[in-house]
Amino acid sequence: MSALLTSLKLNQFRCFTALRLELGEGISLFVGDNAQGKTSILEAVCVLLRLQSPRASALGETVQFGQREFAVAGDYGDSELRLQFTSSGRRLSVDGETQKRSGDYLRASGLVVWMGNDDLALIRGGGEGRRRYLDFMAGQLFPGYRTALKAYERALRSRNFLLKRDKTPAWPQIDAYTKLLYEHGAVLTARRRELIERLQPYAVEAQCQISGREDEAVALEYRCGSDSSEALHTETGYDLAAVLWERREEELRRRQTVAGPHRDDLLLSLNGMPTAKFASEGQQRTQALALKLAQSRLFLAMKERAPVLLIDDIFGELDPQRRNALMQAWPEESQKLITTTHLDWLDPEWGRAATVYEVRMGKVAKP
Amino acid sequence: MSQVDYPRQVKELILHLKKLPGIGPRGAERIAIWLLQQDGGVAQSFAATVEKARGEVWECGVCGFFSTEQGCPICDGSGRDETVLCVVEQPTDILPLERSGAFRGHYHALRGKISPLDNVGPDDLRIGELMDRLKKGAFEEVILALGADVEGEATSNYLVEVLENEGLKITRLAMGIPVGGGLESADELTLFRAVQGRTALGRGGS
Repeated sequence: MSALLTSLKLNQFRCFTALRLELGEGISLFVGDNAQGKTSILEAVCVLLRLQSPRASALGETVQFGQREFAVAGDYGDSELRLQFTSSGRRLSVDGETQKRSGDYLRASGLVVWMGNDDLALIRGGGEGRRRYLDFMAGQLFPGYRTALKAYERALRSRNFLLKRDKTPAWPQIDAYTKLLYEHGAVLTARRRELIERLQPYAVEAQCQISGREDEAVALEYRCGSDSSEALHTETGYDLAAVLWERREEELRRRQTVAGPHRDDLLLSLNGMPTAKFASEGQQRTQALALKLAQSRLFLAMKERAPVLLIDDIFGELDPQRRNALMQAWPEESQKLITTTHLDWLDPEWGRAATVYEVRMGKVAKP
Repeated sequence: MSQVDYPRQVKELILHLKKLPGIGPRGAERIAIWLLQQDGGVAQSFAATVEKARGEVWECGVCGFFSTEQGCPICDGSGRDETVLCVVEQPTDILPLERSGAFRGHYHALRGKISPLDNVGPDDLRIGELMDRLKKGAFEEVILALGADVEGEATSNYLVEVLENEGLKITRLAMGIPVGGGLESADELTLFRAVQGRTALGRGGS
């Protein structure tokens, strides 16, 4: 089964004062020069369907310059989704009915996979990008994950604040948060581990499909960012409260929470060696793409729903072989929204199946 | 010609009303104009009511509930269980518990919850008063009935820590599915805690 985003309406979102778009199944191509608003269209779809942006840490950042509110709406499957953002907060509605809980809204919404040319940072960058990759996926697959993540982040902010604030830290207060980190962190760690285990076979398959080689063995491993004594590690991870107790001196010195899911990482390797250090640039690009492709395959398998693929600016960059491999391997049922600066790469036969939109100075036209 | 605006007195009234919780600039303006346009001493009696209430009601120094010349309806009331103390965030949290009829002990309102990011620490709450009461009173059990958000939970954890050596039984409210609601309306964490805190029925397996 696959639901489609058939329309998109934006008000005061990024560079768009007002925009209405009808979208069809298959491939929609948004063509235009840089800084015309192409990526903002994909971002709006992500915000509408998932209530978060891959480019902004807070929704407020996407408000049009000089304005204070925005609205994004659209028809997804049988539901009309609407998100209004005002200075007093956000309002969500499904079919005109206000939704108090984001969980209820998201149930009517769809799944999203974002592919961008900064995906290479998944391989070469720091752990933060990989954690975001895992969190964005887990948030879509496991209903309680976002709640646990938000609670964890809030407790972490408070705990770090307390560690920094006083010359002699108020440990009883700090430990009140340690327990919360432990409880919510346990949900995060367990879900991330489960996710990686399920993702692994799809990542292996995608790597082979894109590289065209059978001998590239990808491995994904979850690593707890704690180098404490082995005794504190258990089968399901580690006892965070015990780890933090053991590393109290270090926390006092560094004035921050030194272990927990916010320091964990996803280790990526190719043929037994860390991809970031030992793989060629081509292999690294392949793996970054494979991780996103694996995400869409996993979504399809677990949720029996094809995700909407938001593909930002990578088609012009990919070499023909990887581009063709991607188009062979992506879920056929998925709706694909693609931005690109030019269509030189477009195979005419393939292009006939796509709808092309021209994006210029915050306006969109079908040529 | 200068621009005409409300007289100073009206603007002052709007300014005061705007400070009320939940009232924005437009609402404040609407209420101010409404008050001014009422006949029959409505505004005067409103002002007198506010003044009287403020003058004749104060916070009970013991439990934090509302107290009058007749005393505190909770602390001075008879027939309460002197061995159980229920800790809540706000005095307004006491009424729902009272109405439920499930609890007949004493209360202690903290007047907030620990939230370092909002600059609220243990010293800003009525935790010292709580400790004093527990030392002097005949309490055997403390029930923590704080909110289940991050700050509420952190406050509960903190209280558990500081009360640990007082030789008291410390409990917290159970968490679970709402009465009359289906499982599908409960979120994952609530269900998780509901399963953890499940209660035995019947006599099988014991």
